[in-house]
Amino acid sequence: MKFQITHNTRYEYPLPASLCHNIVYQVPGVYDFQQVHKFGWQITPEPNYLANRKDFFDNDYIYFSVQKSHQKLNVEIKSEVEIIKPVWTDFLPQNTKPWEEVVAWLHTIEASNEIRQFYLESKHITFIDGIREYALTSFTPGRPIMQAMLDLNERINKDFKFTPGFTDNSTPLADVFTYKKGVCQDFAHFAIACVRSIGLAGRYVSGYIETLPPPGKPRLVGADASHAWMALYIPEIGWVEFDATNNLLVNDRHIRVANGRDFADVVPLKGIVYSGGGQKMIVSVDVKRIEG
Amino acid sequence: MINGYLSERLKNKVTFFDELAAPDGTIREHWKKLSQSYEALGLQKMEELKGEVSRELRENGVTYNIYGDPDGINRPWQLDPIPMIFNHDDWQLMEKGLIQRAELLNLILTDIYSERKLISKGLIPFELIFNHKGFFRQADKIKIDGEYQLIQYSADLARGPNGKMWVLHDRTDAPSGAGYTLENRAAMTRVFPDMIRENEVRKISAYYQRLKTTLTKLSIHNKENPRVVLLSPGAANETYFEHAYLASSMGFTLVLGQDLTVSDGYVWLKTLRGLEKVDVIVRRVDDVFCDPLEFMGSSQLGVVGLMESIRQKKVIVINPLGSRILENPGLMPFLPLLSRHLLGEELILPSVASWWCGQKKEKQYVLDNLSTLVIRSIYRSNENPSVYGGELSKKELEQLKDKINAHPYLYAGQEMINSSTTPSLIDNNLEARNSVFRSYIVADTEKGSYYVMPGGLSRSSSIQGVFIISNQSGGISKDTWVLGPAPAETNGAKAAPIILQQVKNVLPSRTGESLFWLGRYLDRTVNTVRLLRIVFRMYNERLNDPNEESDQTSIILFKSLGMLTGAISDLSLIDKKDLKKNLEKELISVTTDSSKQGSLAHSLQLFLSNGYAVRDRLSLDTWRILDSIQEELELMKANGNDLQKTYHNLDQFIIKMMAFVGLNSNNMTRASSWRLLNIGRFIESSINTCTILNAMLSNNVKLDVDRQLMELALVCNESLITYRYLYRSTLQLPEVLNLLLVYENNPKSVAFLIDKIDENLAHLPSNHTDEGSLSPARKKLLEALTMVRLCDVNYLVTLQKDDPSKKELSNFLEQLIAKLSQSSTLIYETFFSHTQSQFSFVNRNTMPEV
Repeated sequence: MKFQITHNTRYEYPLPASLCHNIVYQVPGVYDFQQVHKFGWQITPEPNYLANRKDFFDNDYIYFSVQKSHQKLNVEIKSEVEIIKPVWTDFLPQNTKPWEEVVAWLHTIEASNEIRQFYLESKHITFIDGIREYALTSFTPGRPIMQAMLDLNERINKDFKFTPGFTDNSTPLADVFTYKKGVCQDFAHFAIACVRSIGLAGRYVSGYIETLPPPGKPRLVGADASHAWMALYIPEIGWVEFDATNNLLVNDRHIRVANGRDFADVVPLKGIVYSGGGQKMIVSVDVKRIEG
Repeated sequence: MINGYLSERLKNKVTFFDELAAPDGTIREHWKKLSQSYEALGLQKMEELKGEVSRELRENGVTYNIYGDPDGINRPWQLDPIPMIFNHDDWQLMEKGLIQRAELLNLILTDIYSERKLISKGLIPFELIFNHKGFFRQADKIKIDGEYQLIQYSADLARGPNGKMWVLHDRTDAPSGAGYTLENRAAMTRVFPDMIRENEVRKISAYYQRLKTTLTKLSIHNKENPRVVLLSPGAANETYFEHAYLASSMGFTLVLGQDLTVSDGYVWLKTLRGLEKVDVIVRRVDDVFCDPLEFMGSSQLGVVGLMESIRQKKVIVINPLGSRILENPGLMPFLPLLSRHLLGEELILPSVASWWCGQKKEKQYVLDNLSTLVIRSIYRSNENPSVYGGELSKKELEQLKDKINAHPYLYAGQEMINSSTTPSLIDNNLEARNSVFRSYIVADTEKGSYYVMPGGLSRSSSIQGVFIISNQSGGISKDTWVLGPAPAETNGAKAAPIILQQVKNVLPSRTGESLFWLGRYLDRTVNTVRLLRIVFRMYNERLNDPNEESDQTSIILFKSLGMLTGAISDLSLIDKKDLKKNLEKELISVTTDSSKQGSLAHSLQLFLSNGYAVRDRLSLDTWRILDSIQEELELMKANGNDLQKTYHNLDQFIIKMMAFVGLNSNNMTRASSWRLLNIGRFIESSINTCTILNAMLSNNVKLDVDRQLMELALVCNESLITYRYLYRSTLQLPEVLNLLLVYENNPKSVAFLIDKIDENLAHLPSNHTDEGSLSPARKKLLEALTMVRLCDVNYLVTLQKDDPSKKELSNFLEQLIAKLSQSSTLIYETFFSHTQSQFSFVNRNTMPEV
C-alpha cells in the first residue's frame, strides 16, 4: 500500500523573533516492510543552517536554525511511503514463547544494549503503583508473550476512554491511570509502562495512520495528526507493534517515523526561539492513499 | 604547642590515623622541621599569622557563596594556616595512582560514548550506565580528536586508618577549586615564605600553564590564535569568585551562556564590536544545563545549539558534555577489574569500599548495613544528596530502604571512611581534624600523558569527628604541600617558555552592560550620599526647633531627596502629629532599607552586584575596595536607627567610592570598558544634577531660604568653593545656575558632563552606524548640549509674583532630563540590544478522531 504524507507545522509569534533552533522528527524510517520512495521538506523562512542527522536510536532527524527576524515559521515535510504486511502478522500468537523466558533472556548480556535499554524507566514512563498488577492480569504465568500482549492491548482499549484535551505533555502517567483518559500518546506510554514493569522491552513508536473516511463522505484533508503506538520485543520475531488506541496488531496502515524510549525522545518538532514571548501553533497531517 | 597536640591525642585515645604523629606519639619525619617552626612561633604568634592569612585572602577578595544563606553571598574563604603535607614517597605513589586512574577513566569514557564494548562484555553493568542521568545519548559517537576525552579530572582522596590513600569521589564534569588552591598558596607564600622555602614545597604554577596550553591546543580551526572562554553560571554561583579569578589569570574571556550564540553552526561571543568566533569553551556550568534545546529545556545558563556545534566539530567543550557519567559511585567496585582488562595493571589507588545496589548480593549487604554506610545516588544532584545511615531515624531508614528497593540500580552504599586527622588551628588551639584532599589532573595532549598538580585543595571538617566535608556545609580549607625535590622533568619544563598568545581583548556585550550600570549606580550612590549628608545635618541641627513644620528648607530638602531617590513617601501624607519621628523613620528607611527601590542601600547593592559581575575586568585593589564597601554596607545596616553612626557610614561611603573612582582612572586602560563605565557615570550625574537643581532651586521661597538652598545645592555638587573663588559675591541664582549647568570648565557642570559622555561614546566601536553621520544617541546628546549652551540663565530665573515656582527653570530642566534619558536609552539599545528571552516550544501529539 502506498501513502503520501504531508505534515505541516506553523508557528506564529506576536513579536518578531531573531533566532530559532529546531529539531524535527518527521522523517519516515526505512524497514523491510516500509520503503520511502520520496522525501522532501520546505521550511520558510529558509533556514541558515540545516543538517540531516541520525540519533542514538538510529532515527533520522533534521536540525535547523533560522537566524533572521521572522514572525512566522512554517515547516512542511512531504513523503511517499510504501508498506507491505509486516512479518509479525504471520506468527501465531499462541505459539510464541512464555513471557517469563523473554524477561530472563533480556536481563543477560546475551541481549544487546540496543534492546535492553527499552526495559528501563524513562522520562514519561515510570513504574507507578498498580501498573505491574494491571499488566500481570494479562501476563499470566507461562502465557505466550504475543497472546498476552494482545490481551493487554485490548484491555487498555476497553478500560481507557479516548479523550482529546484531557492530558498534555506534562500529565503524569499516574493521572492517566487514575482517570483512564487520554490520547494515543498516553495509551502508548501506558502500554509500554505495563510491559516494562514486568521486565519486558517496550518502545514508543511515533508515526501516522491512515484515517478511513466515514461512509459516503469525502476524506477530510488535514483532519489527521501524528499518531503514536508501541512495540514489544519478541526474540524470535523482533519488534512487534501494537496500537492500543485502535485495539490493533499493527498491519499495513501505520507509517512509522521514529522509535524512542517515550515521547520525549521523538518529539515531532521542538525548538527554542528568541522572541518577546508567546506563540500560536497550527499542525496538520494529511495521509493520502495513492495508486500504483 | 605540638606537645599539647600530641598529649591531647593520647589522652582522648583518638583512633584515627594522624598525619603529624605516629601512633606512639612520635612526630613523623616530614613534619619534624615544620613542628619545630610552629613550636618556635608559639600559639599566639600562629593565631596572629592566621589573622594575617585571613586578611590576605579577604583583601584579595576570595569569597565563596553559600546557597540558601541570606548572608551567604560572597562569604569570605577560610584557610587554616597549617597545611596538609605529603612527603616525597607518598606523593610519588599518589601521583602514579592518579595518572593511572585518569587514564582508566578516560578509556571508560571513550568506550561509553563509542562502542560500549565494556557493557556488552558485562564488565560494566548495563543498568549502571543506561539508567544514569549523566549518560547523554545526544553525545554518542562524538569524540575530541586524539586519545583524550577526559581533559580535566579531580579526585577527592582521604587517608584511611591503615595509612593508605583512598579515593572518595571522582570529579569529571566541571571540577572546582583550582582557583582557590592558587589563592591559598599565594596567601601562604606571603605569610610563611620561610617555611615554604625550607621545606622545599613544590610549586603548583606549572599546572595552570599546562592547563592553559592544553586548552589552547585543543582548538580545531583556529590553531594560531584560538579564543578560549570560561563559561560560568554567573555571579550567584558558589564558586563564581574562582571563575573570574581563573579567567583573568589565564587570559580567557569570562562569559555567561547569554553572552554566546550559535549561528551557522559556530559559537559566537557577542561583543561590543559584534560577533567573535569562539574556539574552546571551558565550562563551569554542569553539562545538563549547557544546551536547553537538547538537554534541560528550562535552563537559562546554557547556549542553544551548543550540542549541534560540537557535533559539527566547530567548537570544543571541556570537559565534554556527558563526562558526568563517570561521577558515579556505582562504578567504583568495577574499577579494579576494568583496570586489569583495559590497562593490564592492578589499580594503584583503591576506591573507598562501595556496593552498587543493582546487584542482588550487594543490595542485600547495603540494606543489612544501612546504619553504617553512606548511601549515594549514582547521579550526584542537589535533589539526591548523600545520606549517612547512622544519622537517620528508624522511619527515615525504612523510607530509604523502600527507595532502594524500588530502584536498586540508582543507589550505591559506601563505607564511611575514617579519614586521617591533621592539626588545625582552631580558637587558639591545635586540634586534630579529619581532612580530605582534592587533586587536580589535566591531560597533557602534547606529551600524551596526564599531569598532576603537586598540591591541591585540602579541606578539614569544621566540627570535630565529622567526616562528610564539603564547602557548602562549611569546611575549612588548607593549602597542600608536596615536599620536594621536584623531579627533573618539571625543572626542564620550566625552562621551556610558555607561549602567551596575545588574544585581542574583547568585551562581551553583557559585561559592557554591567559596566554601564556600574557607572550609573556608582554616581547615583555618590550623589545620594551627598544629599543625604546634607539632610542628616539639617535634621540634627534642627532637632530642637519646635517650629520645624514651617521650616521650608527642611521640607524642600526632604522633597529633593524624594525626587532624587524616588524612595520617600509623599510628605503631605505623613502624619503631622508626630512629624519629627515620622521623618526620622523615612530618613532611616531611605538610607538603610535595601528592599526599598531607590534607597541608598538598594543602589549600593546594585552597584556591588554589577561590580561583582565584572570582577574579571577590575584590578585586585579595586576588588578590595568593593569588598570594603560591602562591609561598610553591612555595618550601616547593623547600626539600625542610630543616625549618628549612620552619618559616619555615609562619610565612609564617599571616601571609599572616591577611592574606587580614583583607582579605576589610574588602572583601567582607556578601552571600551573604561568608556562604558564613564558613560554610565556621567549620564547618571548629569541627570541627578538637573533633578537636584529642579527640586531645590525652582521654588518660590523667601530670599534667605533661597540663599540657603543655593548654598546647599552647591555643597551637594561640591562646587561651593569654586563658586566663591569665581564670583566672590553673595549667592545669586543666575551665577549658581551658570556654574552648575553651563560653565564648561567646571568638571561638575552638566555641560561638561554631556561633553564627556559624547567624547567617550565617540571612542566606542562604531560599526553600528554609517561612517560620517552621528549616531542617534550622539545626536540626542548634541541637542541636550546645545540646549544648555544656548540657555539664558537670567531668563530662566524670572519669577512671576504669584507663581508657586520658577516655571521656566523647571521646564528647562525637565526637558533636559528627558533628552538625557532618551540618549541613555539609545546608547543602551545600540550596544546591549540582546534582551530577547528564550522560549521553548514542543508540539503536542494529538490523535485522529477515529
